[in-house]
Amino acid sequence: MSQLGQVAGILGKLNNEYQTTTPKKLKLIDAYLVYVLLTGIVQFAYCLLVGTFPFNSFLSGFISTVGCFILGASLRIQLNKANQSTFNVSPERAFADFVFAHVILHLVVVNFIG
Amino acid sequence: MMIIFIILPIFSWSVVVANLNVANLNGLKAQFQTAIKSFSDISSLHYTLAGIKELGVQLPDSYCDNINKLVDKSNVESIYHATEASKTLVNCKLPAEDYRAILTAVLQSEDSKTAEIYFAVRSSVNLGLTVDESKIEKRLNLLAKTDDSVVSQGYALLTGAQLSQTIAKSYADTINDLVQQADEIDGSILQYEGGIGATALIFNAFYEVAEKAGVPVKIDSKQLIKFATYFSSKRHVATLRSAYYLTKIFKHLSDNKNQVPVVVSRISPSAISPQNPSVLVSVTNILGQPVGEMSVVAESAKRKEDGVVVISKQKLISKASDFSVYELPFYDTKIPRGFYTIHLTLTARNEGKLIGLTDNMIDVKVTSEGSIENVELTVSDRDNTAQAKTYKLSYPNGQTDKLELDYHQKLTIKFQIKDKQSGEFVRVQQAFLRFTNKKSNKEIIYLAEPSDGANSQYKVEVDLITNANDFRHQSDTYEVVLILGDSLLQTAYEWKLNNNVQLTFHEDSLADKDHQKLYLPRPEIIHQFREDEKRPPNVVSLVFSALTALPLLVLLILWLKLGFNLAGLPLGLSPLGFHISHAAVFALMFFYWKCLNMFQTVRYLALVSIPLFLFGHRVLSTLAARREKKV
Repeated sequence: MSQLGQVAGILGKLNNEYQTTTPKKLKLIDAYLVYVLLTGIVQFAYCLLVGTFPFNSFLSGFISTVGCFILGASLRIQLNKANQSTFNVSPERAFADFVFAHVILHLVVVNFIG
Repeated sequence: MMIIFIILPIFSWSVVVANLNVANLNGLKAQFQTAIKSFSDISSLHYTLAGIKELGVQLPDSYCDNINKLVDKSNVESIYHATEASKTLVNCKLPAEDYRAILTAVLQSEDSKTAEIYFAVRSSVNLGLTVDESKIEKRLNLLAKTDDSVVSQGYALLTGAQLSQTIAKSYADTINDLVQQADEIDGSILQYEGGIGATALIFNAFYEVAEKAGVPVKIDSKQLIKFATYFSSKRHVATLRSAYYLTKIFKHLSDNKNQVPVVVSRISPSAISPQNPSVLVSVTNILGQPVGEMSVVAESAKRKEDGVVVISKQKLISKASDFSVYELPFYDTKIPRGFYTIHLTLTARNEGKLIGLTDNMIDVKVTSEGSIENVELTVSDRDNTAQAKTYKLSYPNGQTDKLELDYHQKLTIKFQIKDKQSGEFVRVQQAFLRFTNKKSNKEIIYLAEPSDGANSQYKVEVDLITNANDFRHQSDTYEVVLILGDSLLQTAYEWKLNNNVQLTFHEDSLADKDHQKLYLPRPEIIHQFREDEKRPPNVVSLVFSALTALPLLVLLILWLKLGFNLAGLPLGLSPLGFHISHAAVFALMFFYWKCLNMFQTVRYLALVSIPLFLFGHRVLSTLAARREKKV
């Protein structure tokens, strides 16, 4: 019981820290990432429940969510001011990369979706 | 499964090169004699009467009535057959006046073929009617230009033989041209297109026209022999026409005033052994008649497998008073077993018109006696051969005791075959081990394989697990027999090794395969189309599609809660352009999914990405400048 309590305590503290220290921009991106994650979970649940037919569609959908998540995560990393030392890119440049990569991702996904 | 094996040595084998044989006169005679019992038409009557007369049988005149009944007076071919048939009888005169009109009409007509001209001319000659020879000659020359088939040329020769000697001579000179048109098969046979019927007719025509012309038939002797080989190879012919012409040809080929091919053939059995030590050779003409005194020399006797020569230039001994049989003593203990070809050359005492005296080949084989040695029957465990019980057997005694084998044992039989003469171990063509189920008489046969090397030890192994399916797992009493045979072995062996072998298999016995059922129609196979994959009901798919859209709501709610900064959205051409081109890209993706292909999409994408890039760059630099200003 105490262990659970400890875990709950830690989680609560984490949440607090997050809400206070994270800038708004990053929180927006986090929300986007959560959305993408949920979509991926829904797709996967469908596949588990109903079956893999048509497999190519499932794969392309799932990979689309995974790809979007990764691109979103990388955008977040690049925009985080704490990482300014490692990444020397302007936020605009990061965003442009984000859009460009997305175009290519969507091209591939739509090709594969069948 | 009953397999019947020939266990006696095989006495003859196929000869690759066609040989000249004695004609089957008895067969021809029988064919005519069967035909004479009933006639269906005038041509059969003609060929039968004429054929049987050639063979020396004279038939009574009562057949004259048959001729008159069967003849069709309006058909020139029918008339021809009738007149020919009547000529074979002693006193059968046909009324010439009945046929004169038809015959003249055929000879006058422009449409008559060479065969019809021949029929008309020959019938006229038979009936004693006169013909206009020069006109006929002209007609034949015309026909030769339009119809150059070999049969037509044959009929032309036959017609020429009915006309004057000078005309006949001019036709006789064309014999060589016609011979060149024959087809050669395998280098040993000459024939014409059309088979035996055409070839026999044409070949006979050579002789008839040459006889009328008073000249010998000018055919190169090698070609004549090839024709003769073709004719002598026809042991049975289907039609009476071919039979008749064949009879005439055989008589021509044995007539001393023509070239006479000599037939050399072996009349002793093909196997040479101490009981049969000599080769007997008969030298006759194609009718089987003697051809006078000869000197027959065996130039060489070569073994087929390695060309070893065992006899050279040995003269054969004459055994018959009419000089038709000669003997060559062959057997010698020094001559090894094998197949031998003897090359004979003949020299005639009287220089006659005999041909085919050289290049005569006779095939013989020298067999030897064999003995089965070192026979071992071993019963051992499948897994370790340490526990093995070996029995030594000697032919012809088999085992008297019962032998029991069960499924963890195997039976091995080893033996060698020795050639008694040379003392070496030989390989044979047939070496089998046969198991016979004593109840059902089913046979299961295994092949004994020899080891490599000089000692040629044969071994056959029967394992009661590996080979159980051959026996259909039927655990019964079996009889075991060893079968050996070879064409060069004097005797074959069928040696009962054990009469009482009990085999016990591991699994239950299966029924014997019903071989009758193998050839009945099998069950029909109906084509199965590929079944579609199982799909969920539409409702489920729709529900989940909605579920996928749900997180979008979540996102909007979260963004609103976080305070989406729509106020800072710049307005103006560039941002508008940026948003529009961005939306256009997504629209393009939608259309790609729906109807475009990759190439078109990439082209459109290239187009759209230009404004996207331009406007994006502007918007972002504006935002960057604004940020810089703030800081």
